[in-house]
Amino acid sequence: MALNQLNFSIENASPTVALGEAFHLGVVGSGDLEMIIESKEQGGAVSFQILSPVTGFDDLWKRVADAFVRESGLGNAHIEINDNNATPAVVMLRLRQALAEATAR
Amino acid sequence: MTKWTDLQSASFLESNARDRALGLVDEGSFTEFCGPMDRRPSPHLGVLGDAVEYDDGVVTGVGRIGETPVFVISQEGRFIGGAVGEVHGAKIVNTVRLAIEMLDAMVAKNPDTPEAHKPIVVFSFETGGVRLHEANAGLLAHAEFMDQVQKARGKVPVIAVIGSKVGCFGGMGFVAAAMDAIVMSEFGRLGLTGPEVIEQEMGREEFDSSDRGLVFRTTGAKHKYIMGDCNFLVKDSVAAFRAQIADLAVLPIADFEAMRRIGSEAAVDKQLALVALAVELQPKDSLDVWAHAGNEAPAELNDAPYEEFIAKAQRLAV
Repeated sequence: MALNQLNFSIENASPTVALGEAFHLGVVGSGDLEMIIESKEQGGAVSFQILSPVTGFDDLWKRVADAFVRESGLGNAHIEINDNNATPAVVMLRLRQALAEATAR
Repeated sequence: MTKWTDLQSASFLESNARDRALGLVDEGSFTEFCGPMDRRPSPHLGVLGDAVEYDDGVVTGVGRIGETPVFVISQEGRFIGGAVGEVHGAKIVNTVRLAIEMLDAMVAKNPDTPEAHKPIVVFSFETGGVRLHEANAGLLAHAEFMDQVQKARGKVPVIAVIGSKVGCFGGMGFVAAAMDAIVMSEFGRLGLTGPEVIEQEMGREEFDSSDRGLVFRTTGAKHKYIMGDCNFLVKDSVAAFRAQIADLAVLPIADFEAMRRIGSEAAVDKQLALVALAVELQPKDSLDVWAHAGNEAPAELNDAPYEEFIAKAQRLAV
């Protein structure tokens, strides 16, 4: 019944992108999500904390997160997501958007 | 994050709660209270397995328009329809409380504080009222907010701004009606019982909620403007709302009494006269009332663009 909480880390031995100050993006609308993306020194890894009403897709979350970290080169970061039934494509879009806006500042 | 200059020309209807809050005050002047970084989601939704948001669906904070401190409340309709829960409610109530405390402190320090330096509250509504998941806390917040509006009366103008997708319905419709002034764009909708609920309770013959024309003719801003339920009708841009608020910000507090809908014997008499008129007219559609108000071609007026509507519309006098 309670929200499904997911915590995991994606290792990144050679990060190419680092973050500045913490950044918030998005609205928890239906099929959408909000996220806070901030820098966190943890040996290159990107840690995720996801709160979602959806259960049974833990592996898919990890695959999307893994694809994002490999594609972006992001490292030493912590990402918190409050999800409201977003599809993997929307999750990926928001991750890219958050990184683009966070690094543009 | 959207740039302030880009926000000004942006559609108010399409803007999210945070962009509206940022855009309504001067560039770079907005400071958010209890924002997403403070991580204060609803303690109830998560337990029920429903999605949570760190700001609980409302942006609160303070900025400036010129020399006027502007306390801003801006609801996010995409998060559970902008419904009011416990944290959301606490944020909106305390924002008004802070504005009153600021005024009291200013006046205590300098009794001759110019009107333009005194704070105002601007509430951008996008809500269906109480959040049913935490209904007791939500209802209590409505009552507490009304209480703050009464405390603010004659001190701090509390201005409603309605031009977002969800409109302003349910208990929050009462709250808006209790405020000093209401500013709407033609896409704004204001009411108590929402169209779907009326249809559900009274039947489709009474109210067809799928008829968007009917919904807007009944709850929409053009009708509210003619009826006097809203004070000002502006174009759908952040800049237009901001300009109207800037005009209001410098007015002496006494000027707001005449704009109010409730809270005086004269206001009660006016409401009773409207009820008597409804009995006499037996209107089948809002356009019947528009015609009675002196609008010769109400259907054409209803379809008219903003400039033409504002130039031609005759407002109901009772």
